[in-house]
Amino acid sequence: MSEYKKKKDNHHGTEHPLSVLANEVYQTFVDMGFEIVTGPELESEWYNFDVLNVPKDHPARDMQDTFWIKDKKDYVLRTHTTSVTARAFEKAGKEGKLPAAFISIGKVFRNEATDATHEMQFFQIDGAMVGENISVADMKGVLTHFYKKMLGDDVEIEFRPSFFPFTEPSIEVHAKFKGKWLEMGGSGMLHPNVLRNIGLDPAKVQGFAFGHGFDRIAMVKWGISDVRLLYQGDLRLNQI
Amino acid sequence: MKISYNWLKWYIPEAPKAEKLADIVTYHLAEVESMEKKGDDTIFDINILPNRAHDLLSHQGVAREIASLLDIKYIDPTPKYKIPESKSTKLIKTIESPKCRRYMGRVIRNIKIGPSPDWVKNHLESIGQRSINNIVDATNIVMYDCGQPAHVFDLSKVKNLKLTVRNAKKGEKITLLGGVEKTLDETMMVISDDLGNALDIAGIKGGNYAELTKDTKDIILECANFNPVSVRKTAQALNIFTDARKRFENDLSPERAAYGMQELSALIFEMCPEAIFEDVVDVYPEKQKVRKLSFSVDRISSILGLKVSEKEIEEILKRYLLKYELKKGVFEIIVPPMRLDLAIEEDMAEEIGRILGYDKVKGNIPKINFKPKVNETYAKISWARNKLLADGYSEVMTYTFRDKGEVEVMQSASDKKFLRTNLTDGLKESIKLNQLNAPFLGIEKVKVFEIGTAFKKGGEEMHVAFGDKKNVTEVSLNDFCKDMPKDFSLEPRSSNLEAKFKMWSLFPFIARDIAVFVSENVKSAEVSKIIKENMGDMVIKGPELFDEFKKDGKISYAFRLVFQSYERTLTDTEVNEIMNKITDKIKAKGLAGEVVNN
Repeated sequence: MSEYKKKKDNHHGTEHPLSVLANEVYQTFVDMGFEIVTGPELESEWYNFDVLNVPKDHPARDMQDTFWIKDKKDYVLRTHTTSVTARAFEKAGKEGKLPAAFISIGKVFRNEATDATHEMQFFQIDGAMVGENISVADMKGVLTHFYKKMLGDDVEIEFRPSFFPFTEPSIEVHAKFKGKWLEMGGSGMLHPNVLRNIGLDPAKVQGFAFGHGFDRIAMVKWGISDVRLLYQGDLRLNQI
Repeated sequence: MKISYNWLKWYIPEAPKAEKLADIVTYHLAEVESMEKKGDDTIFDINILPNRAHDLLSHQGVAREIASLLDIKYIDPTPKYKIPESKSTKLIKTIESPKCRRYMGRVIRNIKIGPSPDWVKNHLESIGQRSINNIVDATNIVMYDCGQPAHVFDLSKVKNLKLTVRNAKKGEKITLLGGVEKTLDETMMVISDDLGNALDIAGIKGGNYAELTKDTKDIILECANFNPVSVRKTAQALNIFTDARKRFENDLSPERAAYGMQELSALIFEMCPEAIFEDVVDVYPEKQKVRKLSFSVDRISSILGLKVSEKEIEEILKRYLLKYELKKGVFEIIVPPMRLDLAIEEDMAEEIGRILGYDKVKGNIPKINFKPKVNETYAKISWARNKLLADGYSEVMTYTFRDKGEVEVMQSASDKKFLRTNLTDGLKESIKLNQLNAPFLGIEKVKVFEIGTAFKKGGEEMHVAFGDKKNVTEVSLNDFCKDMPKDFSLEPRSSNLEAKFKMWSLFPFIARDIAVFVSENVKSAEVSKIIKENMGDMVIKGPELFDEFKKDGKISYAFRLVFQSYERTLTDTEVNEIMNKITDKIKAKGLAGEVVNN
């Protein structure tokens, strides 16, 4: 059975497919000049929402079903890793290290019922590049290269209009893989309010950011039919 | 929002065919989530997001947008909205709460409650709404047509023709249309009559006190505007979802109320030609300001990474009927009152980008002057992972949510409300599960690890846990990586991009071993070949040679076979038959003196 070939070597363990993919993703972005960043899973409301121009009592908050923490007011399980991006650029700004580009893959949480395509925990790839003249065209170049690396050279990428509070313009990225258009995630140019909130001057810098489904890529790429298989602790998953 | 193609066509008769229109909407406006044929109509479900909820939660809004996008004719229905000359009114409206931004009312007498005309029924039913009666239907048509929520009270119930928008009293109760009772507090806003009866939760849902009956003759129309945050907080607290709430909480231009009143009045006149209209009472303390927005051609081009010309922008502004001035590469437009989403230069970059189409933007991989550092946490994770893999541990990821712990989430779609304090508990479950599958996995001993976050009262920490059924060790990532070399760097590695995952069968498997004692010169491959030829198509793993030893000029080969079906549970009997067949064949070949299968 070819899919278990790695286990022929009894001395070596098998790796989780998401780790295999994470390595590929990081490598691809590092090659394009991005720095890997990590951040907390238990995040303040400030970094998860307010910094990202998602105000309290705005319907935009309904776009993500959030886990709030009991007895720890103003804390959430991060709903996206865009919080990590925000922290990284805030730091880079303070240290005078712009232009800069950061990439992170991290676990995120959504309070919703699970099924074959929905999990309460999953991973997101979040990346951003900020500089003087970074544009939508740059984002298109970076993401097209990325998806070709991940899913093959015949993949097509499309940008469609959307809305996210933290980006303006906001764009949804779709990829055509094996004849089917798939929604990969949100992206856009960082909203000036976000830049200001992390101490950058929107008159001087601009940049793109994206937050895409990570599990989704693994599922599409390798034909894993149910997202829940990824978190069962079942070694039969480790075939890649 | 559900949008009827036929309804749109009233305003844009030149609209392209439904399929083409869905594509145009998807690539230039918003996601079309579904498209459904319904008789001679097509119903689109368009995902209108908060930035365009101000103007696109309406058929007119969507039609105007498409007309401008495609530069086709928009038939403005407004000149048709006519009513007989209105009479003076005694209606008094007072706004006591600053959260009401506009309140318009009109008395109409001598109406007749009855069924709606067919076109009204068709319109409503096409988008999944039920026809109730002519007057209620008229308010719904107005909301789905122009976006303004409207409400009607039975005039005979409104004491002294006085309506007040006020904050509710703590503990005040209201019975809503449909009969559900809600208890209010002073942060909430109601419409009340002169006796203080609450008639309506402002902007959210009407009460049953002044509900229309079949005998209602005189009515009061309401078209109002409320503060979005106030509506949202109240509706959230009371757990009420209505179309009115959705529109108000996303913020609606108070200017729309006047349009809604005009359309609603005209509709009622069409349905009740005998109706007598009184003047509109309009309380509008602070008129919405006219806003101007400037943007430069260069800045738009710089954001999009696409050279956009003045001419292209002018052409778009004209199609969208936007008044503008152009001075030295800088446009100044007057923002239409409904377009609350247009506030900054970047908003115009989005407008121009999406109208032109993002396919016009050509990709480019930028080179920036930035020296990335090695991320210490990720380096540690990689080092730990490589070390454990090399030590024969396999990686798993288990759930963060557990049924006990130190950090709890407030509400959850699941019954596991706590965050894990350790990885060990999950790992032990994983070991148990994998132990059952050990023959399938072809491993002697299950050894697993996980690298992940554990949550304690004091905060979160990245842990590493590894072990087998006897023992699981868990330490912090930092402790685990004490011996990591300082200069550790991530090696590029290449994985098999062509790999494919094969789902396992959900039916139980049966593992069997067969030991063959043969003369020394017989190769294991010969035995294996006979097994393969006779094992049938239910073997998902094997024959795998797991043991061999020599004794007295003879050699013993032990093979393992794992049987499993993707369609059913296999029985011992049928597997026994196969094993016996294999045994017989091996014996028949004269290879072995002794065969043991179990």
